[in-house]
Amino acid sequence: MVKRVLLIFLFVSSCLSANVYETNCVKCHKNIPVSIDKYFYRYLLTYSSENNVKTAMINYMQNPSKKETVMAEAFISRFGVKKKTTLKESELKKAIDIYWEKYKVLGKLK
Amino acid sequence: MLASRSLGTDLLHSEKQTLLRFSTLYILLSIVIIWAFSFMYYESQKGLMLQEKRVILQEYSKQLIQDLKYLHINFDKTQTYPRDDKFDSAIFDSDQKLIFQTSKTELTLNKILYLKNNTIHLINIPESYYLGAQFIIVKMKDDGMWIKDVTKKIVSFTILAFIFMLVIGYILLRLFLKPMKDAIKLLDNFIKDTTHELNTPISTIVTNIEMIDKSSLDKNLIKKINRIDIGAKTISNIYQDLTYLTLGNKIISNDEDLDIAHLILERIDYFKSLADAKKVGLSATIIENSSLKIDKAKFSKLLDNLISNAIKYNNIDGFIKITLESKKIIVEDNGIGIAKENISKMQDRYARFNNSSGGFGLGLNIVSSIAKEYNLKIDISSELKIGTKVSVSW
Repeated sequence: MVKRVLLIFLFVSSCLSANVYETNCVKCHKNIPVSIDKYFYRYLLTYSSENNVKTAMINYMQNPSKKETVMAEAFISRFGVKKKTTLKESELKKAIDIYWEKYKVLGKLK
Repeated sequence: MLASRSLGTDLLHSEKQTLLRFSTLYILLSIVIIWAFSFMYYESQKGLMLQEKRVILQEYSKQLIQDLKYLHINFDKTQTYPRDDKFDSAIFDSDQKLIFQTSKTELTLNKILYLKNNTIHLINIPESYYLGAQFIIVKMKDDGMWIKDVTKKIVSFTILAFIFMLVIGYILLRLFLKPMKDAIKLLDNFIKDTTHELNTPISTIVTNIEMIDKSSLDKNLIKKINRIDIGAKTISNIYQDLTYLTLGNKIISNDEDLDIAHLILERIDYFKSLADAKKVGLSATIIENSSLKIDKAKFSKLLDNLISNAIKYNNIDGFIKITLESKKIIVEDNGIGIAKENISKMQDRYARFNNSSGGFGLGLNIVSSIAKEYNLKIDISSELKIGTKVSVSW
């Protein structure tokens, strides 16, 4: 019984988390011709480690600016700087965690 | 030891110890200096080798960065890490967390260029962190040619340096021994000059006493002549000791089959008047006679010194017992004896532990040198106020 409750809890929580990323990130990025993974590799190129990448992403989402962006100037000129996130910090962290897990390099290289 | 022999110096026990300590310290110091120089040379050669390999590894690193860049751009299409037969590689993120490595080894990011486990490592930090790699390590096997060359040179250097240090050490040792040698030489020269002057008067006294017909003299005169005889024999003994000491090494030995029992009785007869004067009983027990191929004068000198010491360091009414066993002479007395801690120093030249009797402390040194020449074994046991036992065996 306990096992079953735990499994259900894990499933529901993962669905909720996925929703944060899917509904708040992927939904908007779908409309831009640049796929969402390109931003990830831009961050990786500049910030290297998981901690540094995640911190930089959170900082940028909360205070987006032309100065702090990792994207090329041409990209900013065309699409502009994104709006400040309306997500709570905890939700933002969840979304970024999912984003990291989806595109991280560690463990994927052969 | 070698140095002291080659210098012709008869060194005492304490002086030998000082020399041994000096030599040990000098050799240790030489080893430390040679090791330090060898280590510095090894490190410099290792540094040179690493700098040579650095150029090659830089090229490999550049090539790897290009491949990582390509992989970074096309990561959605391929995830195969770039490999090369010529080198292995590993990448780390900015938190020094390993992202990937081509061969499993323990890596450190503390040094840029280093040699570990026969592998040369170079760490490169690229301008852009492709795949998140802030630290790129390229490594290649060390062929070990340089170390063979370095080992050869170090071994040759060590041998040459050690020989050089030994030569310097020998020169230092000579300088170190010079004051000691001069002091002994001065004393030897003094004794040599003194003995030379003593020769004629002693010979005259001894010969003339022997020539006196004692049977025609009255008792009082015989007593007086006996005293002169004792005095003359004492001086004669000292004279012979000093002569042996100064000329001992140069005296050519005339070895013959010596009847030991006969010689013992002869020497007892010689020392009888000396022993009587001190009321010391002098007796000989011949258990088994034996002969020895030896120079008579030298063996007689050995025996004389043992007997005269036993008389000299005896008490009034004491006794001296000389025993001849098979290949062994024992001279035993119940005299003043000697402290245990001084026994080992008894055979040193000029060693004296009692000032109540005369002497130069030469007797046992002469005994020791004669024994050494003929491979005779000397054993001394003594106890204060009990007596001394000296045995000579062959």
